[in-house]
Amino acid sequence: MSVTFPSLAFFQALQVAMRAEQERFSRLGFFDTTFGVRVLGDGDARDEFVLGFEVFDCVHVASGVDGRPLDFVVEGPFASWRDMLDNIHALGAADAAHSLNTLTHFGEGLQVRYDDPDGHDKMYRFAESIQEFLDLSARVDFQYPDGSRPPVPREKVRRTSA
Amino acid sequence: MSYFAEKDFFEDDQLIQLVTSILEGNLTLEWYRVDTPRLRAQPADIRRGLTYDDCNIGAYGYDAIPEFLRNRYSMASRGSALVEKLPDLGYTINRRSDVWADGVAALYEEAKARRWAPAVDVPWKDLATERPPLREAAMAQACTLLEEVALVAMEMPGRWVFSINQEFLELKSFLCAQMIDEARHVEVCRKRALVSGHGLGRASVAAEQALKELLSAETYPEASVAANLLLGSFALAMYRGLAALADNRGDRLLATLSMQDVARSVAYGVAHVRYHLDHQPARRGALSEYLDRTEHTVLGIAGSPEFLEPLVLLAAGSRDAAALARGAAFARRWFGRAVDEYLERCAAAGLGDRRARSVLPRLARTLAG
Amino acid sequence: MSYLSTTDFAEDPAFVERFTRTMRGDLELAWMDASREKVRCTPQNERRGLTFRDLDVGGYGFTAMPELIRQNRSFAPRGAALPPGLPDLQAEVNRKSEVWAYNVEGYYEEAMTRQWNATTDIPWAELQEIDLPEDIGKAYAQLLTFLTEVEMIATDVPAKWLGRLNADFFEVKNFIATQAMDEARHAEIFRKRALSTGWGLMRASAHNEFNLKFLRDADTFAEASLALHLQAEGMVLTLFRFSEYISPTEGDKKLFRLVMQDEARHVGYGMQHLKWVLDHFPEKRELIHHHLDEAENFVFGGGYATEVLEPFIILSGKGLKKENVQEGIRITNAFQVKQTEEYFERLAKCGMPERRERSRLWKMLELNKDALGAA
Repeated sequence: MSVTFPSLAFFQALQVAMRAEQERFSRLGFFDTTFGVRVLGDGDARDEFVLGFEVFDCVHVASGVDGRPLDFVVEGPFASWRDMLDNIHALGAADAAHSLNTLTHFGEGLQVRYDDPDGHDKMYRFAESIQEFLDLSARVDFQYPDGSRPPVPREKVRRTSA
Repeated sequence: MSYFAEKDFFEDDQLIQLVTSILEGNLTLEWYRVDTPRLRAQPADIRRGLTYDDCNIGAYGYDAIPEFLRNRYSMASRGSALVEKLPDLGYTINRRSDVWADGVAALYEEAKARRWAPAVDVPWKDLATERPPLREAAMAQACTLLEEVALVAMEMPGRWVFSINQEFLELKSFLCAQMIDEARHVEVCRKRALVSGHGLGRASVAAEQALKELLSAETYPEASVAANLLLGSFALAMYRGLAALADNRGDRLLATLSMQDVARSVAYGVAHVRYHLDHQPARRGALSEYLDRTEHTVLGIAGSPEFLEPLVLLAAGSRDAAALARGAAFARRWFGRAVDEYLERCAAAGLGDRRARSVLPRLARTLAG
Repeated sequence: MSYLSTTDFAEDPAFVERFTRTMRGDLELAWMDASREKVRCTPQNERRGLTFRDLDVGGYGFTAMPELIRQNRSFAPRGAALPPGLPDLQAEVNRKSEVWAYNVEGYYEEAMTRQWNATTDIPWAELQEIDLPEDIGKAYAQLLTFLTEVEMIATDVPAKWLGRLNADFFEVKNFIATQAMDEARHAEIFRKRALSTGWGLMRASAHNEFNLKFLRDADTFAEASLALHLQAEGMVLTLFRFSEYISPTEGDKKLFRLVMQDEARHVGYGMQHLKWVLDHFPEKRELIHHHLDEAENFVFGGGYATEVLEPFIILSGKGLKKENVQEGIRITNAFQVKQTEEYFERLAKCGMPERRERSRLWKMLELNKDALGAA
């Protein structure tokens, strides 16, 4: 059944997909961070989600970030998120121009908000795990609020790295 | 050799009698009767396994380490029963707050769990294809410089670990993790340069002079500030920049994986300085003064032509004027961001707001103008 | 009293001007014109990935590296163009045969791909369910206490030398870094296992601490490596194999198999280093014998370490009853004989077969053999 981005169901689907790839994520190592995702809509509209990772798992997915201790928040307009997700969906994984690090590097596509540099630095300590988590969206059947869908995959969805 | 045993054991009748007696079945069992705490370490989270945090119990735990170590100069394990006549192994770093950081045990665990092997974890065959010569030349040069940085970053913990008291086991273990992390960076940068078809680039006089100044820090706290906070911040920015500019999965991956390692060192650096200053607040002035006179070194490294010009080229994609202007704009923003994040880390570490006293923001401002 | 760079990069007008111009897109690109050897290295075996052996090409490679490093005293990567003005690293070791070993690049690559994790690669949940009886538990905890005590000497000693080696020997430096990590892992696994038994740590080992001091205070890298990698770790390797044999549980057997892998690599380096030294620096042979004389003195004095010998007896005999102790003595004797013979075998393989005749360690062998005969 198709989910919508942005929505709690979307990130819950990523959580389920991550469980199926446990071996891959455990080889990347301990993944201990809780961060927020903020999708900015028109005006003051925004969708916010918390993603909690512990050991090798996504242990917590929730809506809303208010009042929660977060290491950082990745924030950006819907169009930027869509651009990234379309790229992932088409290619099976983000290409170099659409990786989270690239998109947030100067904050042009997406921005990183944080209160504590220690929390901010977790985005780099766990960079590859975060990227692989987002890349799981290539396997998720989703649509956007206007009913449109990401592009059809051009390449085979990347298998678990052997 | 300079140290000799107290006697020639081959002529030691007492020894031979002891061993003969034992081998006849007369066990002494002196060790059997020691009265050390009978505690049991158990995994708090079985998915995580048995961590050093799980072993932080009673006299065995790192919480039990006092600030000053006055009577433990051997490698006897923390919490074990000491005996007479343990030698002095010559440790010169015996004060906890000179080296410790809250969370260092967890950082060590993270380092182990997040290990990678450049030989097999980077898709080298993707990089072995024909690739744009300008990009390859720039990558080869940038990686040559990063190999120089990594060599020094590997030596820094090696220089000190020998002198640090073995009681600080978890911290020494983290320093070992740093050494292997940087060995990995030496390796991956060299390999990346040598797959390019351009060979290695030019060694950097500026960077090496700067690196030597950092490496020769006189105390461990200064060395940690130098390597982890100052150099680490900019090395992190350098890898991030390369990852952001990558045009292929291989380069993105090698820069991202390296970034992870360096971010861990930065995290230790911030936590170490914080711990150090919490316990030795009088040292704030000295460390700040050390940074005042040492921060210029990151200009020599990240601002060296051997790194900065390749960065501009990678961002530009070509040598035409418009492209170079775009590339330079990227480099200016990159540098400004690196400075800002470094200063944020200094503040988080307890060094206060260095913006007014650091030379780096002044330079970043002149670029923005 | 630290080194100060020849330039204050924030104040030097020429540097600041160049930096500023670069940041405006005005590039000099002098590095592009630096003379260099253009090579393209590729994986010879794709399954192995790109290894240091694949980089052994032309002037970049270790094969072409001369015995004396005369040109590069800086941090410059081997083969990079060396402009004037590079600082002197003050490396103390600039002779290849002081540090090199056949296959050091292979040992390094192996080390990088075979890093295991003491936290997660041991079945801690299973081991938690096992309560060792007092005699076995204490003996095992004591053995583990000894092992965790001594392991990180092989971090401290090589690390001490890492910064003193010429940068051209980076394969060796990298190998040292992997060994430092291996030994931290060993100290960790033995400590964790001791603390997981419920018996905690037991007694420190004074005699072995003096042996550690001997290892720390070697005058040269070659001496340090000989005593550490070949003599000490060689004997420890046999000890790990014996410990696997007498381990009280399957989980402990796995533990010793894992540490054994790392130790074998270190011993391999030690042996190949000694071979290289004897092949290229034969005048060192007598010095090596003198160093081994004292190293073996410490080994023989290890008889005082009852906290090592007696746990072996109890573990191998599986208890403290008289018949267990007798059996334990028999097995432990056999282990010590094997340990000593393997030591001489290694030296012979490295090109020092005469060591057996010169060594007084045979006296220990005789003691053990007599005891075996009497048993």
